[in-house]
This record gives sequence, structure tokens and C-alpha cells, in this order.
Amino acid sequence: MWRLGSTWSDDGKLAEAWRAAQPFPHLVFDDFVPADALPELLAILEEEPVERYEGDIFTFDASAPEPQTDELRRLRDAFASTLAPPLSRITTKQVSRADMRAYAYRVGHYLLPHSDHQVGLGRALAFAYYLPSPEPPDGGELELFRCRAEHGALVSTESALLIEPRPNRLVVFDVSDVSLHQVREVLGGLRISLAGWFYP
Amino acid sequence: MVLPVTTLGELFTSRIAVVVPEAVGPTLAAELRARLERTGYARYALLDRGSYDVLSPDEPALFTALTGIAMQVTGRALVLAEARALRLRAGDYLLAHHDRVHDDHPVELMLDLSPASVPGAEVHYRRRGHVYFRVPSIPGACAIVERGPTVMCNHTYVSKLHGAAEVVRLVVLLRDQSPG
Repeated sequence: MWRLGSTWSDDGKLAEAWRAAQPFPHLVFDDFVPADALPELLAILEEEPVERYEGDIFTFDASAPEPQTDELRRLRDAFASTLAPPLSRITTKQVSRADMRAYAYRVGHYLLPHSDHQVGLGRALAFAYYLPSPEPPDGGELELFRCRAEHGALVSTESALLIEPRPNRLVVFDVSDVSLHQVREVLGGLRISLAGWFYP
Repeated sequence: MVLPVTTLGELFTSRIAVVVPEAVGPTLAAELRARLERTGYARYALLDRGSYDVLSPDEPALFTALTGIAMQVTGRALVLAEARALRLRAGDYLLAHHDRVHDDHPVELMLDLSPASVPGAEVHYRRRGHVYFRVPSIPGACAIVERGPTVMCNHTYVSKLHGAAEVVRLVVLLRDQSPG
């Protein structure tokens, strides 16, 4: 399922791109999964139950934090074992495992600006993989912000980059106290993704 | 003396959280919005906390009237501690961790001066993260909430699906009059 293409063959080049990325380290991989593997991937997700989650910074439908089906659990573990070694070399953050949830952002769903960084959780890298949607989303971009922090608190935030949720696109980005990002409100269609974090 | 309270939960939930409908009419609300507009809003945009317009209103007669309503509802003798006006447009919000923790038990009064109801634009009062009181978008209504150290508040995201939405809230904090 998670076969790495030729893009991943040059760690040095990817490491350079990671370090140079603005507003904070990130990488975007298009055509991440071979096209012939997508139907199998979508079939796995069809069996995974999702429910509505709401908080002051988010509204979306998602699977439970721990996969409910063996298939998604295997998919997650294979993702981690395939990606953790090259990502450790590229980012110099030593990661070994990942969690993974399936997300469905429907019209009006959003995830407001936040950094993912919480002391004690151990999140090292974040990822989002966008799946083909029966109704391609209007909105739902991943927005990255340029921030400045003083004494552990952000003192300025400004929009710096929009990443479209294109099907079969993988985004990996750094987790730090300045890695502020959001999922813009979906204004039409359906945004489907797999997302989570890599841990040491 | 035995208090008629059996659990801490009952003690917490006995605090007042109500919505008083039609506290101001649409004409007065429009006048107040215009005066606030003339005073001039400042933009707040530290986006990990909130995105909104804010100002310090100078409306002594209105504050006196609102304090009277709050005193009637709570049965407490209250005085104005502080006030601010908030304006949220499509895409705006105030998160709970941007709210201030109050070590005492002030009364918060929130007057909805919006020109029209905005679906989903609510104020949520939370206790230990859980929403226990929702203030819906009802122009002219006034929410009165007795706060405490465990109570936090957030103003929900205003959907861009309502592109012309304008939410205006006057937030007044009241404290007990000092004895003597």
C-alpha cells in the first residue's frame, strides 16, 4: 500500500527542502500512493465508523483516536513503519510510531489555528493525507502561519501559505510551539483525509 | 447551620445562567451599534486565541440599566467592574483559552446587539472544558451568568457561509458592591 516513489530516494534533497520550507519546516508529496492502490485504501475506510467531534476550535467528523477495525490499524502501522525511517533521516527528528484517524470535513466544518504542540504528548511531526472525494471540497485548505513567540507565547501571527487538499497528496510538517496552522472552513463538498502525528 | 446542598455538583449548577429576551429593542440596538462604530473598533488577531474587533464602550446610562437587570435576576448588589464591546464577522472567533480566569464569582452580562440572528454564532460557557450553558444568537437578548474560577467562555466561530454576518456583543462584568 505505502510504496515510496522515486521522490523519496534522495534524503539529502528532501532534508534541504524541509529546512528551507516557510513559514516552518514541511514537505508536500503529490501522487503519494500509486493510483492502483487507491481503491483498496478507500475500501478500508468505508468500514471505519466516524462520529461528530466539536470543540471551541473544531467541528468535524472523525474516526475514534484508536482505529475500530483491524484494517485501519494495519494501515496505520504500515504507514508508520514505511515513513518513520526516511522521515527520521530527513527531519532529524527520530520517530518510530504514528497514530492515524480518518477525517471527514463537511460543509461548515473547520479546525481553527493551533500548533499541535502540547508538553507531554510527544508529537514530533504531523501529517495529513488527502483522499479522493465524491464531492471535491471548496475550501478546506491547510493554512500555515508565520509566528513570533516571546516567553513561550505567540506575539504575532500572519497567514503565510495555503496548501490545497488535493487527492493523493501527503503533507508532513513540523510540530513546535510556532507551527501554527488551521484547516479552513469547508464551504462546499467533502474533504476526506487521514491525519495524525509521528512520535519518537 | 445545614446548607440544602448535597453535592458539589449541585452547588456549582445552582449558579445562575439565564437568557433574558428582549432586553433592548431593535431601534436602541441600532443606535448603540452606530455609537460603537463611531467610537472605533480595534482589530485583535493573535489567531491562536481569537479573531475579532474590540473596543471599550462609554455608555454609563446603559450600564446602569443593565446592572439593574442583573441585580434583579441574581438578587445581588452589583457594580460595574469593566465592559467591552466585541464585533465578530464571518471567520471570527474567541477561544476558551483566551478567556480570563476569575478567582471570585463576578456576574457576566452579555447583551446581543447584532442586527440579525446568525446561525451557529453562540457563546459557550464551559466548566472543566464541558459546555454547560449555550447563549444562542438572539438580537436584543441579554445573557446573565454567575462565573467562578472553573468557568471559561468562548465565542464560537462565525461561519463564512454567512458572509455578511455581523455579531455585536456588549460584555459587562459586574462585581458585588463592597460592604459599607
